[in-house]
Amino acid sequence: MKYLLTIYGDESRWADATPQDLQDMMAAYEAFGREASAAGVMLGGEGLSPSGTATTVRVRDDDVLTSDGPFAETREQLGGYYLLECGDQEEAIGWAARIPGARDGAIEVRPVMDYEASGVDRDTQAHEAAR
Amino acid sequence: MKYLLLLYGDESRWEDMSPEDAAESVKVWSAFGQELIDSGAYVAGEGLQPTAAATTVRIRSGEVVHTDGPFAETREQLGGFYLLECPDLDAALAWAAKVPDLPDGGSVEVRPVMDYEAAGYEQPGAEAGTA
Repeated sequence: MKYLLTIYGDESRWADATPQDLQDMMAAYEAFGREASAAGVMLGGEGLSPSGTATTVRVRDDDVLTSDGPFAETREQLGGYYLLECGDQEEAIGWAARIPGARDGAIEVRPVMDYEASGVDRDTQAHEAAR
Repeated sequence: MKYLLLLYGDESRWEDMSPEDAAESVKVWSAFGQELIDSGAYVAGEGLQPTAAATTVRIRSGEVVHTDGPFAETREQLGGFYLLECPDLDAALAWAAKVPDLPDGGSVEVRPVMDYEAAGYEQPGAEAGTA
């Protein structure tokens, strides 16, 4: 059986973290990724860019409505996900608008974290190990 | 760049659906999944079991605390995910308790992925396992 583990935390703590704190957290995630990979349970995983980079996409009466920020209603539930490789956010939003569930629900589009570009040293994060 | 698309909707609509509507819905999702795969943008995707099947894992004062149901606080943000293959929920919960965010006050929601064949649907296409 496959299980999806979604990770929630207060992202503001990263803004105040020292480089040492960041390094320690990356090392802890690296160790988790290695352990789960070695156990044979790891299928994939990604860290996400902060919620400020999210766009929420809905389609109502064939109009594509986009709003900045993550999905924030409690009447609806997370029902699935796609992980896509796209040239840019516009392309990702284009796909989001075509998801059948966008017509009566909402799709949150969030860039996956690029740890190298963000300057954090990162050899074997979970998703690398999962490849 | 990779983008994560999170799908939100009112899950209760699936309960009231006629078999014809369900079959039609599976066809629409299959076609969309096939289109994503053909475009080359598809990396992974899964449908999830209803939120009633979710367990949220936290560590508080060094103790692992399990709560039935999905993560439901708005002060914290989705920061990442793992997709794991585990023999049962207990194994998945044990991995969740090792996620490095937890000692910092984070939470991990564990949700079994939907098994469409077991639920009596035909294979709806885009699933992570086919990537």
